[in-house]
Amino acid sequence: MHAHDDLADLLPDIPSLQACLADAGYLAEPGLATALFCAVRLPQPLLLEGEAGVGKTQSAKALAEILQTPLIRLQCFEGIDAAEALYEWNYPRQLLGIRVAEARGNDVAETTLFGREYLIERPLLQAIEHPGPRPAVLLIDEVDRADEEFEAFLFELLAESAVTIPEIGTLRAHHKPIVILTSNRTRDLHDALKRRCLYHWIDYPSLEHATEIVRMRVPEAKATLVSEIAAAVARLRTLDVQKPPGIAEAIDWVHAAVLLGVQQLDADSVQRTLGAVLKYREDHEVAHEAGLAWVAGA
Amino acid sequence: MPESALGQADLAAVASAFGHQLHAAGVPVTPERSARFAETVLLARPVTIDDVYWLGRVSLLSGQAQIPVYNAIFDRTFRGVVDFSEGLAIDPDAPPAPPAAHSERPPREGEPGRESDGVAPVTSATPGSDARADADLEDRSVLAAASPEERLGHRDFSECSPDELTLLRQLVEQLPLIPPMRRGRRTRRHPSGARLDVRATLRRAHRSGGDPVRRIRRRHVQRPRRVVLIADVSGSMEPYARVYLHLMRGAVRALGAESFVFATRLTRLTRHLATGGPDYAYAKVSEATPDWSGGTRIGEALNRFLDEHGRRGIARGAVVVIVSDGWEIGDPADVGRAMERLRRLAYSVIWVNPRSAAAQYEPLAGGMAAALPHVDTFLSGHSVRALGDVMTAIQTAKRGEPRRG
Repeated sequence: MHAHDDLADLLPDIPSLQACLADAGYLAEPGLATALFCAVRLPQPLLLEGEAGVGKTQSAKALAEILQTPLIRLQCFEGIDAAEALYEWNYPRQLLGIRVAEARGNDVAETTLFGREYLIERPLLQAIEHPGPRPAVLLIDEVDRADEEFEAFLFELLAESAVTIPEIGTLRAHHKPIVILTSNRTRDLHDALKRRCLYHWIDYPSLEHATEIVRMRVPEAKATLVSEIAAAVARLRTLDVQKPPGIAEAIDWVHAAVLLGVQQLDADSVQRTLGAVLKYREDHEVAHEAGLAWVAGA
Repeated sequence: MPESALGQADLAAVASAFGHQLHAAGVPVTPERSARFAETVLLARPVTIDDVYWLGRVSLLSGQAQIPVYNAIFDRTFRGVVDFSEGLAIDPDAPPAPPAAHSERPPREGEPGRESDGVAPVTSATPGSDARADADLEDRSVLAAASPEERLGHRDFSECSPDELTLLRQLVEQLPLIPPMRRGRRTRRHPSGARLDVRATLRRAHRSGGDPVRRIRRRHVQRPRRVVLIADVSGSMEPYARVYLHLMRGAVRALGAESFVFATRLTRLTRHLATGGPDYAYAKVSEATPDWSGGTRIGEALNRFLDEHGRRGIARGAVVVIVSDGWEIGDPADVGRAMERLRRLAYSVIWVNPRSAAAQYEPLAGGMAAALPHVDTFLSGHSVRALGDVMTAIQTAKRGEPRRG
């Protein structure tokens, strides 16, 4: 129970969470700060959706940083199953245990063979078993990539903060992990999963906000260059491109420009660094048609 | 709890009344979520109305599409557009307020969360033209002796009377639906698998004193491949559109297919078709598709599909079936480019053009001519029998000749 009070002291209200996140290098708009605040303090799992590159994963990292707890990340993919997400028995070790016991002429009790030392903990179990004092941040990334059966498998974890291992029993978390799920919306998630979660849709940030974020993430870049690139990304987003560049691309672009020693964005420097921000040949054609000088803001 | 009992009772009433209003406007808010909303208010102690806005949005919603309706109802309830006392006294049996009227109001200045202009607002627009308007055009006598299958199996849908179409629906729903298969990532034990199952072989070795005598093999499981159906519901396709909706409904339920329809814009129908009976599905379709039987912008619709759904994963490795006659009112070159992109993503592209059944058919429609080079299988699908061919083509879809990219 004292972990709760500890969190309440650390994050008494939403503005204080926002300030802590900013100290950790993550600028959260009020909506996201509200969502994260509720996720930590209720506590309740949070489902984050939004275009690729708006900072869904980054927000979980920043949250773990300010709470000074480990970030346990589970990257979902098609066909992910319990053995990869939850736990697996260390089969070779069990075999060895049997052989050693046989060689010594001992009996092997099943309870020792299926004891904790033969259990390989995967991310979900790690999050449940986290010893504290503060709860771990569990990031279940791109949950829409996993199969629907896997969602059902998450229910127990999300609702009870517990997992059941047939040989051992139900393991309950001492410190309920802070669960953040992200989805790119390649498919609709099951209602039962959504029902258990808070929900927040992260929009692409406004120009000023985007400039602030990039400036914070790439402090070595000149302020004028950052504003120019943020404006150029905003212009590219108005074009009919297949993948509108996100904040992650803007940061990559600034990095590339700094690396190449670009002082001011012009048609030539856009030409040289365009690959950092547009990743499709067709998108490059669209940008060239619109004119690189226009992109650079000339 | 420091709050007085009175304060909490008020909060509970406000939270549940607000949830109720959202529910009436079509946002699936449960009492559980309303309670969560109240909890967040107690926890965060909001100072401004914007704080309340975000707390409600985070705790009451479950999808991006619900945001515009939420904005409208929130404004009405908390920003004084309507006196809240009315909200408390709402009659549960009263017809739900049309959210369209509110969500189209311009956003207020300085208000957060209004950047989501790219999202089509959830509107309950008036349903499209009633397809039964032509019910009295012809009323053919129904032959009693022949079974519907015999009588209607070869009939072009466009020549059928409304009554016959009703019969056809049943036939269409009886079509066997077998999904195409792909190799799965997981493996399963199989006598002729290519991989050795070391674990099982060793386990078996216990029976023979530790010597592995029998090899146990595994092979990859077969999993159903994703199927995506995209149907044209513009004016020129009207005779076929309703029948294809039945086919889509069957495919969504039996194959877990994704369904989209388009005329001038693209609408995802998977959800609407997956729940409820056929009449419910149609009501939902015409509600969600205000441009039912309007003009056609195939290129734009396909691009939208690719940008918002296909590239994110829905079309990757999928069998994509497009039902359209290829009449494009935009630039046919757009259709060609979109099809080229689609083909690079998809495993197989099947184009069904009911008009192509005519003996003298040539792909003269601009969009059709532009799309054909990027199509793996081209079918007519104009009658129930031809629909059977479409189902076979989906089931046996093969990757076409080598493609670029």
